[in-house]
Amino acid sequence: MALKFEKTFQVQEPVEKVWAFLSDPRKVASCVPGARITEQVDEKNYKGTISVKVGPSVTNYNGEVQIVRLDPENHEIEILGKGLDVRGRGSASMRMTGKLVALPEGGTEVRSVSEVNVVGILAQMGSRVITEVSNIMFGEFTKNFQAKLQQPTETPEVQATEATGPEPVKAGSLAWKAAKGLFRGDS
Amino acid sequence: MIHKTSPEIGGMGHSIKRKEDLRFIQGKGNYVDDVRLPGMVYGQLVRSPYAHARLKSINVENAKKLPGVLAVITGEDLAKANLSWMPTLSYDKQMVLATGKVLFQSQEVAFVVAEDRYTAADAAELVEVEYEELPVLVDPHKALDPSAPVLREDREQKNNHIFHWEVGDRQGTEQIFKNAPAKAQVHAFFQRCHPAPLETCGCVADFNRATGKLTVYLTSQAPHAHRTVFALVGGIPEQNIRVISPDIGGGFGNKVPVYPGYVCAIVASLTLGVPVKWIETRSENLQSTGFARDYHMTAEIAADREGRMQALRVKTLADHGAFNAAAQPTKFPAGLFSVCTGSYDFANAFCEVDGVYTNKAPGGIAYRCSFRVTEAAYLIERVVDVLALELKMDPAELRRKNFIPPAKFPYKAPLGWTYDSGNYEAAMKLALDKIGYEQLRKEQAEKRKKGELMGIGIASFTEIVGAGPAHTFDILGIKMFDSAEIRIHPTGKAICRMGTKSQGQGHETTYAQIVAQELGIPAADVMVEEGDTDTAPYGLGTYASRSTPTSGAATAIAARKIRDKAKKIAAYLLECSENDLEWEPGKFSVKGVPSKAKTIQEIAFAAYTNIPPGLEAGLEAVDYYDPPNLTFPFGTYICVVDIDKGTGEVKVRRFVAVDDCGNIINPMIVEGQIHGGLTEGLAIAFMQQIDYDENGNVQGGSFMDYLLPTAVETPHWETDKTCTPSPHHPFGAKGVGESPNVGSPPAFVNAVVDALSHLGVKHIDMPVTPWKVWSILKEKGITDQADGA
Repeated sequence: MALKFEKTFQVQEPVEKVWAFLSDPRKVASCVPGARITEQVDEKNYKGTISVKVGPSVTNYNGEVQIVRLDPENHEIEILGKGLDVRGRGSASMRMTGKLVALPEGGTEVRSVSEVNVVGILAQMGSRVITEVSNIMFGEFTKNFQAKLQQPTETPEVQATEATGPEPVKAGSLAWKAAKGLFRGDS
Repeated sequence: MIHKTSPEIGGMGHSIKRKEDLRFIQGKGNYVDDVRLPGMVYGQLVRSPYAHARLKSINVENAKKLPGVLAVITGEDLAKANLSWMPTLSYDKQMVLATGKVLFQSQEVAFVVAEDRYTAADAAELVEVEYEELPVLVDPHKALDPSAPVLREDREQKNNHIFHWEVGDRQGTEQIFKNAPAKAQVHAFFQRCHPAPLETCGCVADFNRATGKLTVYLTSQAPHAHRTVFALVGGIPEQNIRVISPDIGGGFGNKVPVYPGYVCAIVASLTLGVPVKWIETRSENLQSTGFARDYHMTAEIAADREGRMQALRVKTLADHGAFNAAAQPTKFPAGLFSVCTGSYDFANAFCEVDGVYTNKAPGGIAYRCSFRVTEAAYLIERVVDVLALELKMDPAELRRKNFIPPAKFPYKAPLGWTYDSGNYEAAMKLALDKIGYEQLRKEQAEKRKKGELMGIGIASFTEIVGAGPAHTFDILGIKMFDSAEIRIHPTGKAICRMGTKSQGQGHETTYAQIVAQELGIPAADVMVEEGDTDTAPYGLGTYASRSTPTSGAATAIAARKIRDKAKKIAAYLLECSENDLEWEPGKFSVKGVPSKAKTIQEIAFAAYTNIPPGLEAGLEAVDYYDPPNLTFPFGTYICVVDIDKGTGEVKVRRFVAVDDCGNIINPMIVEGQIHGGLTEGLAIAFMQQIDYDENGNVQGGSFMDYLLPTAVETPHWETDKTCTPSPHHPFGAKGVGESPNVGSPPAFVNAVVDALSHLGVKHIDMPVTPWKVWSILKEKGITDQADGA
């Protein structure tokens, strides 16, 4: 199941500060609900985990994150993430490109395009549920991203990671939220 | 003409209440999941999340450590016993538990046995399987591409082609097409759908180490055939296998094949020496057991300008999934699809079918259909409507013009079948009159002027059921006869056993009525028992509307054998010659002396207490009936729909179904069958599809996506009948259970297309969802809203 998401949001901080955050996978991962970077393999490769719970179904992915392209001049980043369900029930991969644009008023616009491919039990839920779940996760990501950007820069990274911890995204209500989204016709 | 018995006897034609319903409506049915044996344990399958992947390793250690877990069986374990593959009903083989690689999502990979169901389910989650993903093939059109991955590495043939099958006169047909003044063509995809019986599949396997006897309680539409398969595959002596099909909560073809779960439960019971229960979940049923259809069909008709149809040409690509596990007569890789000339008198025809493998669940079973007849009826009824559009003719008139006339029966069809009897125009006329066709066409014309969308769809289908003559039909070599055994007790009551197996069809009532008709013993006094292979005579089971044509016939013939013996006893008791006796249901009397008579009950008593010299004691008979031909039920269905231009929703305003299944045993049961089949047809036409995404993920694997019709969606059905008896069946009956599922999908789709035909629409593939219809309306610029947001 291949899905494509285009998301854009704005933050108050200047573009260089946002770039410093966005180009560090540890920091970005700390904003993704249920995600954690566990190991840095080399400059461009990381290992991590993410846990997604949809209704009664929890899927824990063990994965690799690779920075495919990093363009500080244009503030563009391309990340490839691949995950295998730890219990062998499926896999997921994502290619995400992010671009920062400085706004005239001083803030920054974050533009992202993500191509997600899901195989296995989770994919059986169908694109409508996966899309809704992605929307909810992205909403939380945006909130976390903005909050963490505003934290003093000297806050150690470790602390940021531990703050979210390895707990799965609070998706006890994910299925319900997704269902509500469906009926509202949000997307 | 069938002699009408009294209501007390309740023979043919009486709408007596179904005997089995007494326990069903009280919740006292005994289904396989109700079977609880001492010491019974539970099995759970581990299934593949991938549609195509190499199996790199399976680690069962953590699962085995869970308290309560008794065993974990993998494909490698089965391979040691030469049981990791099993034969299918189509001369292919199928993995029981995967070895090497998996070929469809939800394929069986391991079997966990535990003391209770919850532990088994938990332990299945602990089985760690490492996969390496392989390229997935979901589009059957790409299956034969040289660049396509070869799915079945076990075969000698290194491609994805399963079979090519053709019938008819290719050259003669092409000749007619070359010179035809008018042609019509349709590409129609009959989507992958699923019978989705309310009760999923399951079994309890009970191997007794002391006696060496294996008893399997099984959701089986064909218990005897399954016993033989178990004996041949497992090497267990057949007398030591007893298959019991208890009450079955719907089969519709889904319970004909042998499934890996059955084999695993049997192996587990043989290994552990305790009864092992395995019951599917709903999603397992939808994702892994026998699907139906998945036929990509093209049909063309050659005709003259006046609408006389001359030739039919059909080309089909059949998607069988990972294994060819189609359940059908073995010599017919595309079933009875060649009945696709339908109700029409074609001079010539040609039909070819190619089967291919894809990364989808195996199957191709006959879902409420006599082996691909649903596909055939849908195709011909769709292409006839397209021809009507091309010729600007009324679809009813075009059909009438081309029907096989009554005088031509028995009719030899160009693709080889001999139709036993039919009167198609009579059924259509009744349907047209009942629905008020002329008036509806006027209404439609007026509505079109106002921009409203209304359509009328007709289908005049012909079925082919009751397989079958043994010279042509077999399953893995076993001929498709069927059987009945009747024993009359001393008190004049009876027990009958058959080789068939009811799954809700009402056999306990209808077979009793046949006995009542033939012997005059009240139906209430006749006990019908099916499904236990230790007691019932051998038979091939219930599917393809074959019970009444085969076992029903066997019941009548066995009853007649009993009547012949009863006559001898009556002559002895009445001290007269057999020739002096005359029969009326329930008694023999001396011609001209009605007071000198013996009832069947008195005769039965004498059979055990006052046996005539030279005669054997007892009053019983068995018959194995090999039908001389199939039976060909038919009918005309007419559907009226209104389409909401805002939402694309299709509302079925009226539906008239006129069926002709020959002489009827129980009109109420027949009507119930027709209601059920029409409702399933409605669901297929508008709601249901087992779809796959490009990675082979099932997109219809639960009732969230695979929709079942409820009372809310179901319109009011108006039924009626004509009666054209089968000339070769002992009491002139044909099958009926599947006609409504065969005949209704084209009626629904024809109605929707008819509503949109003035916009240039000639065909819409099923399921005709509101989204599909709305998209067409949007494309044509006639939605009520600018867009759907």
